[in-house]
Amino acid sequence: MQTMRTVKTLIFSASAAVMLAGCTAGGNNPGREYAPNMYHSVAYEPMSQITDPDAGAWANSLEHGDRTGEYYNSNNYNPYKMNMRTPPAHTVKRNAQGWLPYRIARVPKDSIDIVVGNLKNPLDSSAAVLAAGKALYVSYCQHCHGAKGEGDGKVADKYAGVANLQGDTYRAMSEAHIFQVITNGAGLMQPHGSQISPEDRWKITKYVKALQKK
Amino acid sequence: MKYRYSRHLFVTSLFVFLFSCQFVFAQDIPTEPAAISAGEALFKANCKSCHRVKEKLVGPALAGIEGRAPSIQWIKDWIRNSSKVVASGDEYGNKIYNEYGKSQMTAFTSLKDDDIMNILAYVKDEANKKAEAPVAGPTTASAGSGDGVSSTYLDIILAGMIIILVLLLVILGLIVNALKKYLSQKELSEEDKEEVVSPYSLGSVVRSPGFIFIVVFLVAALGFKTLIDGLLTIGVQQGYQPKQPIAFSHKIHAGQFEIDCKYCHTGVMKGKQASIPSPNICMNCHVSIKSGTNTGEGEIAKIYKAVGFDPATSQYSGKTAPIEWVRIHNLPDLAYFNHSQHVNVGGIECQTCHGPIQEMDVVKQYSLLTMGWCISCHRTTDVSAKGNAYYDKLLEVHDKKTMKVEDIGGLECSKCHY
Repeated sequence: MQTMRTVKTLIFSASAAVMLAGCTAGGNNPGREYAPNMYHSVAYEPMSQITDPDAGAWANSLEHGDRTGEYYNSNNYNPYKMNMRTPPAHTVKRNAQGWLPYRIARVPKDSIDIVVGNLKNPLDSSAAVLAAGKALYVSYCQHCHGAKGEGDGKVADKYAGVANLQGDTYRAMSEAHIFQVITNGAGLMQPHGSQISPEDRWKITKYVKALQKK
Repeated sequence: MKYRYSRHLFVTSLFVFLFSCQFVFAQDIPTEPAAISAGEALFKANCKSCHRVKEKLVGPALAGIEGRAPSIQWIKDWIRNSSKVVASGDEYGNKIYNEYGKSQMTAFTSLKDDDIMNILAYVKDEANKKAEAPVAGPTTASAGSGDGVSSTYLDIILAGMIIILVLLLVILGLIVNALKKYLSQKELSEEDKEEVVSPYSLGSVVRSPGFIFIVVFLVAALGFKTLIDGLLTIGVQQGYQPKQPIAFSHKIHAGQFEIDCKYCHTGVMKGKQASIPSPNICMNCHVSIKSGTNTGEGEIAKIYKAVGFDPATSQYSGKTAPIEWVRIHNLPDLAYFNHSQHVNVGGIECQTCHGPIQEMDVVKQYSLLTMGWCISCHRTTDVSAKGNAYYDKLLEVHDKKTMKVEDIGGLECSKCHY
């Protein structure tokens, strides 16, 4: 009798341990959550979306007829029920300098001419600007244009047609011209205006000019 | 007099002829190696971004240009100022201009006659080179999975050996039993009998209290350890490695091509979220890279579907659909975390928390992301005070050289929980 009880206890604890081992995350299994209501935000989560209205219904703390599950996280009013949206058209992003948005689009031929005559880099060539420009260049430009701007970055092996910024034509380019190209692209280069803020683009421009003088 | 005049004319015309000959010779493309290597340098500095010798890029392939273009002089004019050539109504110039989407070639006014001839020499030399066998590209891509395979093999071998050992044990037991049976039928001396019939049989050992205690203790200890380990994994998603809708490889992008994390995760310096890149960032390169190292065209086609891009015509249809990436790292709402505070202000590398991302084909959660994990880092990490006047003053006032994060309130409850 005594042994039977011991054996039963052992089997029970062993199966409990095995069940718990199933809680470990790995592969497609995120693992068991402690207090799942805390992991699944009630507010719209910008970086995650759960479209199944019954997800986590078991965790609901209140019973309501038409209530969705506790984990449901989607915005019904957006396309694809997405939680994130692109900024509304004709809105202006705030920035510390109070700069107005840059609006000169990529129009073949004209855009560069318009820019070159009328636009000036609002930043100075101070060491701080150049250091910031260098950090930004490393992040956003180096993998194609190379550390020295010679168009020999690692990506240039695969992506043909990367400009050698040390070429005469590029050395002769004005800062406004470079700014316009970063913003809207040119030739094979795609526009980077969505990734880099105008201030950062001007910093990169300053650094590229300094790089070309080396 | 007439004679002399004609002779004069003859000499002059000879000179003119010779001069013009020389002019024609000057228009010939040089073949000497010095010119070719000079041309190569010029080509790489000025032309490479839009032209290849044998492939069409932004501009036409340049092989055979000396035969195609109306004249060498035309090439020179075109390189120096193509818009002028187009404006003059030149037939060939306008044809090229229209063929390449009316995009104007950059004017290279700084190139001298000799420079252009050297470039042409390089182009001609390069065009005449026989197509070399393509150099085998990096084929190490598949080597990464080697470790996993070998460890499974090891496990299988180990299990096989254990089974063989157990079988051996069983066989030995059977042999002992058979021998005992055989010997018990024989008449043996007293000494031998004692040897054969030992007072310690297997059954008596198994039933002894000492043995039972050891077994129960071992099983209980093991069970307890598994139980505690299991309990500790609740709410910890370390190792979570979900399959993503697009088999994007960080190993190729961040590892092989050394693209900075911030290029795609643009929010990391500015805000709470590092942000998942929008597909227009993918298109910065994949507008022309249409086939991948790992998966060929299948996975890249999913980006095209998301942005509504037709790779055949390079046109956008305007029909877009979101890519439903699976979120890996998720802090519960009870804890506040901000990327910019750590990456921008603290200057912490992405890999400190996310592990060797540049070696991962499929990203997994590398760190625990538990409170204990946060706290232990806040206890051991020096505040990056370099170039920050505020911290300089703080250090001065407190008479310290360095400060840990905990010294400036990194362990305050309300820093993260509010």
